[in-house]
Amino acid sequence: MTEVLTGAQILCRVLLEEGVEVIWGYPGGAIMPFYHALPDHPRLRHVLVRHEQAAAHAADGYARASGRIGVCVATSGPGATNLVTGLATAHMDSSPVVAITGQVARPMIGRDAFQETDVIGITLPITKHNCLVRDVTELAQRAREAIAVAREGRPGPVLLDVPKDVQNQRASYEPAGPESVLRRVRSVPSPLSPRPLAEAVAEAARLIAAAERPLLMVGHGVILGDAYEAVRRLAERTGIPVITTLLGISAFPESHPLHLGMPGMHGEVHVNRAIQHADLIVGIGLRFDDRVTGNTTGFAPRAKIVHVDLDVSEIGKNVPTTLGIVGDAHQVVTELLAAVAPRDCIAWLEEIHSYARPRQERYRGDLSPEHIIAAIHDVTRDRCTIVTDVGQHQMWVAKLYPYQRPNTHITSGGLGTMGFAVPAAMGVQLARPHGPVWAISGDGGFQMNLQEIATMVQEKIPVKMAVFNNGYLGMVRQWQQFFHGRRYSATPIWSPDYVKLAEAYGIAGWRVERASELEAVLAQAAAEPGPALVEFVIEQEANVFPMIPPGATLSEPIEAEPVATAGD
Amino acid sequence: MAQAVSILLNQELLALERAVGELRRRNLPIESITVGPGEAPGTSCLTVILSTDEAGADMTAKKLNKLSGVREVKHFPLDDGVAREVALIKLGATEQHHAELLDVCELFKATVVDETPDAVIVQVAGTGSFVLAFIRALERFGILEVARSGSVALPRVSADAGAATPAP
Repeated sequence: MTEVLTGAQILCRVLLEEGVEVIWGYPGGAIMPFYHALPDHPRLRHVLVRHEQAAAHAADGYARASGRIGVCVATSGPGATNLVTGLATAHMDSSPVVAITGQVARPMIGRDAFQETDVIGITLPITKHNCLVRDVTELAQRAREAIAVAREGRPGPVLLDVPKDVQNQRASYEPAGPESVLRRVRSVPSPLSPRPLAEAVAEAARLIAAAERPLLMVGHGVILGDAYEAVRRLAERTGIPVITTLLGISAFPESHPLHLGMPGMHGEVHVNRAIQHADLIVGIGLRFDDRVTGNTTGFAPRAKIVHVDLDVSEIGKNVPTTLGIVGDAHQVVTELLAAVAPRDCIAWLEEIHSYARPRQERYRGDLSPEHIIAAIHDVTRDRCTIVTDVGQHQMWVAKLYPYQRPNTHITSGGLGTMGFAVPAAMGVQLARPHGPVWAISGDGGFQMNLQEIATMVQEKIPVKMAVFNNGYLGMVRQWQQFFHGRRYSATPIWSPDYVKLAEAYGIAGWRVERASELEAVLAQAAAEPGPALVEFVIEQEANVFPMIPPGATLSEPIEAEPVATAGD
Repeated sequence: MAQAVSILLNQELLALERAVGELRRRNLPIESITVGPGEAPGTSCLTVILSTDEAGADMTAKKLNKLSGVREVKHFPLDDGVAREVALIKLGATEQHHAELLDVCELFKATVVDETPDAVIVQVAGTGSFVLAFIRALERFGILEVARSGSVALPRVSADAGAATPAP
């Protein structure tokens, strides 16, 4: 049925058509018509954030946890520019975020109007697609296209810029029928596999059969493609040990005897040595990021690489590939599963385990990251989703929390966005209202977006926040200690009293300084019906080991603090 | 060896900006870049000559092929194709050397396209180095202004020169 509606109403209708339930946003001049229409659409829950960056991260967290699009809304100018970090984060980690920004009215565009900014130009390199809507008659179509582009293929953020007068213009609106065909706005990467899929899969199966030291390296694509089960069966059928990248963590159960751990800059020694000794690496849904490979010239020197990715432009980008297979992880792995002959890799697995070093407790204080993460696991078991920020705590959690269930580890990988955890966890919580969500941050990242506690309180979003407080920007300090002669330039960071901060926001808060307090405090925090904040006071100069120095190969880990030399 | 990448775009500045932005971000050495109308109405053709190897051109083509507004990307080594540019060169009064100028023009198959008592405009077409050689040859006549088009390119007709990455 055709109705005549305003642009703002049409936007709301299209969001509902697409099954959107939650939008994260902040009103302002150029987006006011949209906010005027919003109360007439009560099925769209709007969450008022305290800063637009948080809206983008929350939409990202929602998208990653739900597998649906995450929507954020901001006004023109500063509202739009505040979304930028969140969009770039979503772009690097392939998350389907849809951003809607108000724009100044069309007659004002290009005249440096109040709160005018070229958000299309600004977000060009950090969105999968963006578009300025020039007339209300094209609005519904552009909005549907934006959502479709965000979802299809390798997901990513899109931005729709809607001038204020277009939001007020009226046009006839027709609900999208199932037959509505979307105009192709971008050329979908054609299946440019060097060969047809069946042939490539058969070749991969031959390589697997011939390998003596094969590895599976599993990335975010397995989570995005819902290929956990297929990957697990492939591993079990072939006995190939499994490495999970930072964004691949929780794509494979960590208790599984074939699971090895995380590779790369902070990967365990045996994981990186396995890569350096492997004769075949089957990479599924990862992009061989520099944090994974170290210096690529010395990466996996003995291995042939089979690279499975949905995005043809990732294959061969960072490491030379013996065989590229373009396709969705689920589809390719399912076919590969049918093509491989059963085998085992018992001797190889034993060899890898012989590389392992027992974790050394180098920790001087009482409250070690190991203790804290074990205690968080004790209280959450496998029921919760952990959202981490960026830095030392992120690496400790990635290495130490024993993830069992798919997609329960969410972090900012590619962009490494400090301040991500708290707002993203709000999105995760609304996507998983019945599961506990823990946002773990350092004292630096937490202070970047702690204003969102107010959002959690106002919207009753019961995220549990953990802050690892070492009084430093710890990861930068670690680099300064290792590579800059201990010159701790601009890394000491003061924190407020977090217990009082919690109190000021009206939520429960604790400070933990001893391991003996962990169990009781975490049990209380987990039992809180609302948001809660737990600060862990940890050793100031704790380091993440091992570490591959920047520019070095995976064969050159640092396993202990460098000895201070004269002049340090 | 230089590679030609030819990008068929929707005829809109946003698509052009996206494509050029992608080239800039990938930090590739660009020898020449030019844009003109595409064969089909509503399209533009962006031609880029890159100092890179075939793998570099292939990766660039794949990245470009993902962009909104990009319809088709082709690339080929310049050796397997034909690349030409046009240049217009304005010279000061050449009366006393007119015959000499015409000789040089004939050598380079260039033509005089505009002539006034004060100035002459000559036109030349050829590869980038040919055009450059012509401009050098004209220096002694006193060049006032030069406009170069940048190179357009097509793969040679011979079989399997160039790899196309068409959109479905």
